[in-house]
Amino acid sequence: MTSTPKAVQASRRNGSPRGRRNLLAAIVFLAPSVILIVLLRLIPTITAINQSLHQGIPGSLNPPSFVGGQVFAQLFQSASFWQSVEQTLIFNVIVNPLQIILALALAVLLSRGLPGSRLWRTIIFMPAAVPMAGSAILWGIALEPSGPINGVLTAVGIPAQPFLTSPHQVVGSIILIVSWIGIGYWMMFLIAGLNDIPDVYYEASRIDGAGPLRTFFSITIPLLRRPLLFVLVADTVSNFVLFAPVQILTNGGPQGQSNFLMYNIYNQSFNLSNAYSGSAQLVILLIIMIAIVTVQFRLLGTGEDS
Amino acid sequence: MNKNRPIRAILTIVAIIVSLLFLLPILWLLASTFRSQNETFASSDPINWSVLWPQHWTLGNIESAINNGFLRNLGNSILVAAVTVIVGLAISAMSAFALAVIPFRGRSATFAIIVLSFLVPFEAIAIPLSQSFSQWGLSNTMLALILPGLGNGLAVFTLRQFFLGVPTSLSEAANLDGAGWARIFWSVYLPLSRPALIGAGLILFLFQWQAYLWPVLVVSNQQLDLAPVAIAKSFGAFTSNYGQVFAETAVLAIIPAIVLLALQRYFVTSVSSTGSKE
Repeated sequence: MTSTPKAVQASRRNGSPRGRRNLLAAIVFLAPSVILIVLLRLIPTITAINQSLHQGIPGSLNPPSFVGGQVFAQLFQSASFWQSVEQTLIFNVIVNPLQIILALALAVLLSRGLPGSRLWRTIIFMPAAVPMAGSAILWGIALEPSGPINGVLTAVGIPAQPFLTSPHQVVGSIILIVSWIGIGYWMMFLIAGLNDIPDVYYEASRIDGAGPLRTFFSITIPLLRRPLLFVLVADTVSNFVLFAPVQILTNGGPQGQSNFLMYNIYNQSFNLSNAYSGSAQLVILLIIMIAIVTVQFRLLGTGEDS
Repeated sequence: MNKNRPIRAILTIVAIIVSLLFLLPILWLLASTFRSQNETFASSDPINWSVLWPQHWTLGNIESAINNGFLRNLGNSILVAAVTVIVGLAISAMSAFALAVIPFRGRSATFAIIVLSFLVPFEAIAIPLSQSFSQWGLSNTMLALILPGLGNGLAVFTLRQFFLGVPTSLSEAANLDGAGWARIFWSVYLPLSRPALIGAGLILFLFQWQAYLWPVLVVSNQQLDLAPVAIAKSFGAFTSNYGQVFAETAVLAIIPAIVLLALQRYFVTSVSSTGSKE
């Protein structure tokens, strides 16, 4: 975009006094971020990897001993680990496309200049402002046996449902809760993306006589591809480490159906004092996260590749 | 145009209904904040309109939240968020400036490493990090609550994107006048970047206001509990008397709601710089 021409850049490279001065300035300006990365990202990652290769008896005075991949081997044979992986995947495969499709539908609906669009946008975005712990509790109470949701269901002739206390409904209930929060949030990103599509494309398609559906699939979707993928990846990252609603409302239950990876790791490390297995799972989670985030970073578009 | 009018009317009605569906839980939260504790479920089973409008208005729930020390938790949350925004903005803006304006070898690689490491969700490394924090004697300190919020990949990214759009002629002119990078950063770039700074500040604020797992991990002293943790604790403590929980949740939600409503357009401009730039 506005990067310095190659020739000028070359003369400022690290060899010349000016290049050295620039490098020094860059180091000073970047130092706080680099220190934070080492402190908050690198050290805990190393801690987790190191711990996952050790095994010790909880509370014992002997230092934990190096066991190589043994903890991982045990983990891969543990049924509860695979159940946690399975539930995490089921939850993510449903919740992320669902949220993004609904967010896209609302973004398109609310960027057509309908009366009051700004107000409707703001209202739909509002749940994103409520901290996750607060909205989890709010919905937890609303979904209780004699709460208002069941009140509405009985009023229209459907029997009251157990929701969070049923192994069959718990994942669906959590999807409902996080979607109430997420849809409006991702909708705002997509509205911003829609606004960036130049009007001429829409005019051209109108002159060609294309209907709204045709316009949506051959203009909007292709031109929105990048923000759409970005939002999908970012949503996936945040839902993969979902914690607050599970810890506050279900503790992973009933029957482990909501025992998503992040909660399982927490539970293993603190409630079951199984820190080594917890670390091994964390390493697996980290590998998945780094892979997803790398895709996300490419989708951000750095402004230097063209 | 005329044949579109019925369609527009239908779409408007759809928009209104969807907005109402999103709004109802918030209205219920507000109504439940101002009704007495034993009325919580009175109108939900069977359901009637009082579910959204208390029959007997009361401030009792707010009083009991205050008596339970909620103001201290709220104060902790505000302090942590405020320090995070100020210090976090300084740190993010400095790195964004180096990555957008100062030419040096390996700049794009450095940029990739910095943003990538901050994009890995913090929750994923929170548990091993909390073990290190307790070894370093940082458990139960404000510093422990603030530190993780200071580095934010999206904030760095947003600011760098904005800085890239500032014409380089400005910094070159300042450079000819003998200004060093610190001067250019402070007197050329920062004053021009108010909207991007507000957008990045919002990202930093929301991260801290949402924090839950980390405060659970590093704080065991109740005096230091942040508001979301305090609410989860009251929720666990009362099994049927939810009045106080509603009042606390309402207060916790209203603060970011006001901030976001006031600054909404900056949030939108800041996010529009992500994803769509080729």
